[in-house]
Amino acid sequence: MTKQEVIDVIKKNIVENLDDIKAEDIDPMKSMADYGANSLDIIEVVSCTMRELNIKIPRAELADIKNIDQLADRFVQNMNQSPQA
Amino acid sequence: MDKDQLLKYSMLDFFQNDSKSVLDPPADFEEWYSHPLVSFGFKFAGQPMLSAPSTITKIQSAVDDQARRIINLTSYNYLGLSTHPEVIQAAKEALDKYGTGSSGSPMVSGTLDLHVEFARRLAEFKQKEDCLLYSSGFGGNLGALQGILRKGDCIVIDEKGHRSMIDGGLISGAKMYFFKHNDMASLEQTLEKCKGKRTLVCVEGVYSMDGDLVKLPEVVALCDRYGVQLYLDEAHSTLMFGENGRGVGEHFHLEHKVGMTFGTLSKSFGGVGGFICSNARIIRYLRGYSSPWNFSCAIAPSTVAGLMKALEVATRDSTLRDKLQANTAYMRKHILDMGLDIGKSESQVMPIIIGPDSKLLYELAAGIQQRGLFLQPVTFPAVPAETGRFRMSISAQLTQADMDEALNIIKDVIVPAVKK
Repeated sequence: MTKQEVIDVIKKNIVENLDDIKAEDIDPMKSMADYGANSLDIIEVVSCTMRELNIKIPRAELADIKNIDQLADRFVQNMNQSPQA
Repeated sequence: MDKDQLLKYSMLDFFQNDSKSVLDPPADFEEWYSHPLVSFGFKFAGQPMLSAPSTITKIQSAVDDQARRIINLTSYNYLGLSTHPEVIQAAKEALDKYGTGSSGSPMVSGTLDLHVEFARRLAEFKQKEDCLLYSSGFGGNLGALQGILRKGDCIVIDEKGHRSMIDGGLISGAKMYFFKHNDMASLEQTLEKCKGKRTLVCVEGVYSMDGDLVKLPEVVALCDRYGVQLYLDEAHSTLMFGENGRGVGEHFHLEHKVGMTFGTLSKSFGGVGGFICSNARIIRYLRGYSSPWNFSCAIAPSTVAGLMKALEVATRDSTLRDKLQANTAYMRKHILDMGLDIGKSESQVMPIIIGPDSKLLYELAAGIQQRGLFLQPVTFPAVPAETGRFRMSISAQLTQADMDEALNIIKDVIVPAVKK
């Protein structure tokens, strides 16, 4: 899966979990908080995305991520390392 | 799951559950839980005390399953009122008169004369028009916010606010925003998003994991500028802050700016329950819409009688809160002298921040317990991963000898490990 495809999955989950936002309006260089997501929304988006990508990364390791692009990088890195059930 | 990675996971990683039955936890949760250190952590949190949760008590230790005398700096019995002789006597007398239970929700038949009188005294103490009693602190916060907020409203919570406020906001259907902890620029940005909507800002007097105080004057100024209401959770400050013990609102001379004030009855009061105080009209309205009040049995009468006496004992003079402040100052000075990190604590809630190594944290917890000191580790997600800690609850009940013994144990066990 390419990074762009990972970003598309994240965008899809943002749209599903937040009010009044379209995928084409989401800039990956921004954070979910910039689109009105609170911490609970972000947990939900990240959970749904990891589930869909079939990966599991400890949340404690995602605390420093600043934007959607960095999150996608981290997901791609994990997928390339060791696909997990 | 990668076995080497197991200890990097936390409760935040197992919320999603793909097991076939809703009565089965996720398979990877079971795997995580079976790690010896993880299961020890759960066991450590559930260690039974064998006596009252006073500063000196006995515990059935999770370390070696031995009954052990300990200095208890974990219970939030800040003023020692749960074992105060006058409080116990008042509870005993009420037990004889009323029996063990209230036998009904306040809405139906659970209201006794004791509840009415205690609520009146709490409202008078907090200088508000009326008060509602809840049978748990969690229920009080949840019930107040769920009861007054609606879909279309905004609730704005400090990111370190208690889970009970978050759950109250979630149930209400209001749009929920978090602002960065005690960060007024972040609060202002958030209030901009809420313009034109009914909005409630929720802060705590003393924050429960860090022991720092809300920047109340600045919060009040922003609430005034945006014309929004303020909710102040004084769970860790009622009876302890302010000239008369009314809390952080009184400490900053801003009680009149707090629209609704919340307190627990389980911490400084030494019992169990929660209460909110506000204007009489909204309290009357909440009696129809606050589910934990409507549908939970009222606080047990003996507990209410004990709580009422606790309020009297704690407020008839400043002895207990003066002692608490003196003990807090003593502990703070000596902990800092050891070079330990207590973050921004300004209160009797005093963390000792160890860092991201949860294995070390639990080894230290076991080590100090074997020497006779009980401190509970706090790890991610309750606190940021890099700031795993012990949370000390200082009590007015601590004697000089207790504090010196506790400090010696900390010096012998924690200091060398942290400095290594």
